[in-house]
Amino acid sequence: MRNSIARTLDGLTRGELSVLDALVVAGQTTEVELISILRAEPSYVATTVAHLVDLALAWESPEGLRALSGVADCLAGGNAAGVSGLRPRSPGRRDTVELETVIAALPREARSLLEHVVAEGGTAKPGTARIGLRPEDAETPAELLIAHRLLLPGGSLQPGLLVAPGEVGLALRAGRTTTDPVDTPPTVASEARSPRLALGAAVGAATDVVRRTETLLEWWGVRPAAALRTTGLGVRELKASATYLQVSDTVAALLVEVAAEAGLIGTRADSDGNPVWVPTTDFDRWRELPTAEKWSTLAHAWLASARLPSLVGERGPDQKPWNALTPELSSSGMPEAKQMALATLAGLPEGHGLAAGTGLPTLVTRVAWERPRRPRTRPDLVGWAVAEAAVLGITGADVLSSYGRVLVEGGDPAPVLATLLPAPVDHVLIQADLTAVAPGPLEPDLARRLNQVADVESHGAATVYRFTPDSVRRGLDVGWTAAELHAFVLAASRTPIPQPLSYLIDDVVRSFGRLRVGVASSFIRSEDEAALAGLVGDPRAAGLNLQRIAPTVLVSTLPIDVLLPRLRDLGVAPVVEGPDGVVRVGAVEPLRARSARTRDGADPARAAARQSAHVVSAVLTLRGGDAEARSRPASASAPGGGVLSALREAIERRGAVLIGFTDNQGVVSERAVLPLSVEGGRLTARDQGAPDDDLDAERTYAVHRISRVVPVA
Amino acid sequence: MQSDKSLLLEVDHPQAPECRKAIAPFAELERSPEHIHTYRLTPLGLWNARAAGHDAEQVVDTLLTYSRYSVPHALLVDVAETMARYGRLRLEKHPVHGLVLTSTDRPVLEEVLRAKKIAGMLGERLDPDSVAVHPSERGNLKQALLKLGWPAEDYAGYVDGEAHAIDLTEDGWELRTYQREAAESFWNGGSGVVVLPCGAGKTIVGAAAMAHARATTLILVTNTVSARQWKDELIKRTSLTADEIGEYSGTVKEIRPVTIATYQVITTKRKGVYPHLELFDARDWGLIVYDEVHLLPAPIFRMTANLQARRRIGLTATLVREDGREGDVFSLIGPKRYDAPWKDIEAQGWIAPADCIEVRVSLPDTSRMVYATSEPEERYRLAACTPEKIRVVRDLVARHQGQPTLVIGQYLDQLEELSVALDAPVITGATPVKERQRLFEAFRTGEVGLLVVSKVANFSIDLPSAEVAIQVSGSFGSRQEEAQRLGRLLRPGEPGPDGERKVARFYTIVSRDTVDADFAQNRQRFLAEQGYAYRIVDADDLDASADQV
Repeated sequence: MRNSIARTLDGLTRGELSVLDALVVAGQTTEVELISILRAEPSYVATTVAHLVDLALAWESPEGLRALSGVADCLAGGNAAGVSGLRPRSPGRRDTVELETVIAALPREARSLLEHVVAEGGTAKPGTARIGLRPEDAETPAELLIAHRLLLPGGSLQPGLLVAPGEVGLALRAGRTTTDPVDTPPTVASEARSPRLALGAAVGAATDVVRRTETLLEWWGVRPAAALRTTGLGVRELKASATYLQVSDTVAALLVEVAAEAGLIGTRADSDGNPVWVPTTDFDRWRELPTAEKWSTLAHAWLASARLPSLVGERGPDQKPWNALTPELSSSGMPEAKQMALATLAGLPEGHGLAAGTGLPTLVTRVAWERPRRPRTRPDLVGWAVAEAAVLGITGADVLSSYGRVLVEGGDPAPVLATLLPAPVDHVLIQADLTAVAPGPLEPDLARRLNQVADVESHGAATVYRFTPDSVRRGLDVGWTAAELHAFVLAASRTPIPQPLSYLIDDVVRSFGRLRVGVASSFIRSEDEAALAGLVGDPRAAGLNLQRIAPTVLVSTLPIDVLLPRLRDLGVAPVVEGPDGVVRVGAVEPLRARSARTRDGADPARAAARQSAHVVSAVLTLRGGDAEARSRPASASAPGGGVLSALREAIERRGAVLIGFTDNQGVVSERAVLPLSVEGGRLTARDQGAPDDDLDAERTYAVHRISRVVPVA
Repeated sequence: MQSDKSLLLEVDHPQAPECRKAIAPFAELERSPEHIHTYRLTPLGLWNARAAGHDAEQVVDTLLTYSRYSVPHALLVDVAETMARYGRLRLEKHPVHGLVLTSTDRPVLEEVLRAKKIAGMLGERLDPDSVAVHPSERGNLKQALLKLGWPAEDYAGYVDGEAHAIDLTEDGWELRTYQREAAESFWNGGSGVVVLPCGAGKTIVGAAAMAHARATTLILVTNTVSARQWKDELIKRTSLTADEIGEYSGTVKEIRPVTIATYQVITTKRKGVYPHLELFDARDWGLIVYDEVHLLPAPIFRMTANLQARRRIGLTATLVREDGREGDVFSLIGPKRYDAPWKDIEAQGWIAPADCIEVRVSLPDTSRMVYATSEPEERYRLAACTPEKIRVVRDLVARHQGQPTLVIGQYLDQLEELSVALDAPVITGATPVKERQRLFEAFRTGEVGLLVVSKVANFSIDLPSAEVAIQVSGSFGSRQEEAQRLGRLLRPGEPGPDGERKVARFYTIVSRDTVDADFAQNRQRFLAEQGYAYRIVDADDLDASADQV
């Protein structure tokens, strides 16, 4: 209940909250009375009350209009959130006129005190003030206020406190809940801008955003951006992208975030298994759209996004800089901040934008009035929303563009934007310095083909391409011919082709393919051209895939170990040539199997000695074990508590014992020892049978590690 | 307007001249080929504009007015922000504390004060908005502030220097409009650089600037021959007499009211000190002229840093420095005060039009083999010095028989070979100055029709009669050198008997498929960007194309 009230209140303007607050102060009341205690136009109060009733925050009880119970507790946030700070009026209240007379007669100190109490929430601690005096007997201002019943005991709701009831506050504020009007939202400082410039700036930014996003994502498709472990984008990657796009880091972060929101990029593992950001398949679909629709996709994604790209690079609470695409980098208030900021801009007079300097602060104030209960970070959010909208081209020179207005109103901005975009051009101007300038956005097909044979040197509304030997060669690589190239530049250029360009093309074509590369597994070389010709012509050699690449060289796709026997079968006598050009004599090595490994058995004397040593040690070990087993009583283990007493007993009788012991590695072993002393939970003992002078034989054992003690006979 | 801050200007558009005029103050002309000129917005350019009194609003308005497509908002913001950085800090004269750095924007001053590099140059903090500056650090401070991105505006003024009467004597000639404009904008701006193409009469702009200053003047030039030419020109164009002009070079050390010194002598270092530094203090100079600013050697920058109280004028054909120290020119000598595109001046007939032709020769097979197996550092020399070129040069010289021709090269033995093959005198660094002057004079008068010269002829040598230049080798791909060499040809000669002005021909002979061709491409690109039509022909086709040539 409380939560749902709070949430509903969050969606109210400061004016509406003030009306609701007045309703709480007034208690059960009528609309007329409500109007009388509010500093607002009656019509505003009437519509607001209707709205509040619709929201079920207020209702018409048989006794009159009243606020939903619970609303009073949820109204918080002070004056900025439309809360007057007055207490509800008391049921047995006095007449307003009478109250005003009493207050007017108060001495200055008492009045100041009363004003202070009302301003500070309407409650006060009585302290040493006496209660129940007559006004004549009051000695302090507080006692006087109590005596005049301007401060009342709090009763069971506020035990031990004094309360200034609502009617007293109203009387102090000349019968109204507030001293300022509540129904006038603060105005946003705006000024008229040239519509041509503003729209131009917006469209320019819009085309820029689309072009940059496309450029960046194409680049990422070839050179993926490494993702952080948190899936964010590292500072270095962001900087690289910003440099590539010739924009600031902040703008790059915005573009990346918007692309992610629009689903144009995603993460995947690269060939080394590291996560990288790359364009998604949606990007390919998006790329085929007309510019206006591309923009529309991005703009919608941005508008609904809770991401905070403007924070990228700033330090977070842990003093670490925020990275773009980090999941935590979002605020649920952001979409609303964007909506409110843009809606406010939409409400400005036609052709008006935010005033330079003062515009943004007043916009923040206005949004604060519209949604006063929002968190304190809101000024930042609104500032970012305005800045980001400018980068995206929703606004231009802080004026909401015509298509931006459609976007904010929930429509499809693409058709409006499409009419504003410059028409594509179908030609370029080619100059003697080997540049081709497209004086506007090129038709996609022409742009694609030009990209194959020339490098882009400068982006913008126009594009500058440069022909270089490398770029022309690239064109030849993908299948252009010299004639096609000449014809293409001639057709694309509106100006005569400069002679150096024709020369460049011919020059590159001349040297193109001077070196040829192919695949072969073996070669056949001979000074005797006739012999090679004969071999190629031999029908029996048809299966050898021989190809003559020079008068004296044949190549084959067969590996040499297949080719060689086949050639021998044909009766030619080939020799093998090594990579260093030296002839390898091809004598075939006879086949051999690997010899069996020689064994020790070859030397019977050594083997016998080794074997007898084995036998002796085995017998000794076995016998030692037998002796031990014989000495071990059938019920070997002593109970846990018995370990200590068994050890003490053994020390007393100076007898050897067998202890079961768990060492540091958790391995349980048994030792036959002669216990010497038990002290501080440790047993000191000598290994049984160790020579007396062997100092190492004396060891200590932790008693709690000893699991059992068995006397050894 | 492109996102990389370049501006494309369609030359054939009816509004193009108007637009060019509007953007010239703040945008640097980067290339000017035939159809579309590229200008670029740089911080230096924008600050230059601020220094010349343009504000961001004008710039933004111009961009929006002339842009065919909408201008990205971010760029406009960037322009405004960059321009706003200029002049936040000012260097001023304070009646008590001498030189002070003041600011209208306290955070900027704080930021600057915290910069390590600057701390040592500043004195005590006078009040929250100003801080004292050691007068000797005026130049260094400006340099450092520019690097920080907060260029200071220098209001500290200049000393007048020792007065000396200098007037232009305009008998039989007069100052061209652009020369007058250049001198005046320099004078009004205080200090700065005038950019004019080779052959456009930069010396005369220098003389006009001196006539404005009417004070003792120190002129710094690249070499001795150029020093002599300055002297001759000054005697001819101004009221100065030979006695008033001194030469300070390796051979002569005269200090007169007007002294012409070479960079070389000033930067000579002995035992770690510059012995000729005293020259700067020898007189109370009222004006310092830097010829060919783009070649200004690094030590001179350091010396100039100490001369900030004197008026300085820089003259150059191009602000492009191969070492990228344009920023130092801006902060130490001053912002660009005047600039005129080559083509405009050419159109007015003040410099000759030029036809650039690249002739490609194929290396003979034997040479190709030697080339292919040679060390990389040897390759250029091998390619550039192929004997094939001599044959082509001989052909070309024969074709232009009767026209004054220069053959320019880099390698001395190649030049010697050419000299023998063409039977022409050769001038290299080893040729005595007297002999050089004699030969240049003979060339000027037409006595000698063909000269083979090394790179000594690159700079500031007035050979107005040259009509054909044949370049056989150069310093790798230097664009600057290309400009200078072309400049040799652009000094306009007298109109021919038929009233036609000469068309200069600039041949470059290049070995195909070698590094020579790669370097040539760099230089060609520069020429094409300057708007010169160039063609490439094969040496074998040279005869066939004779009709066109």
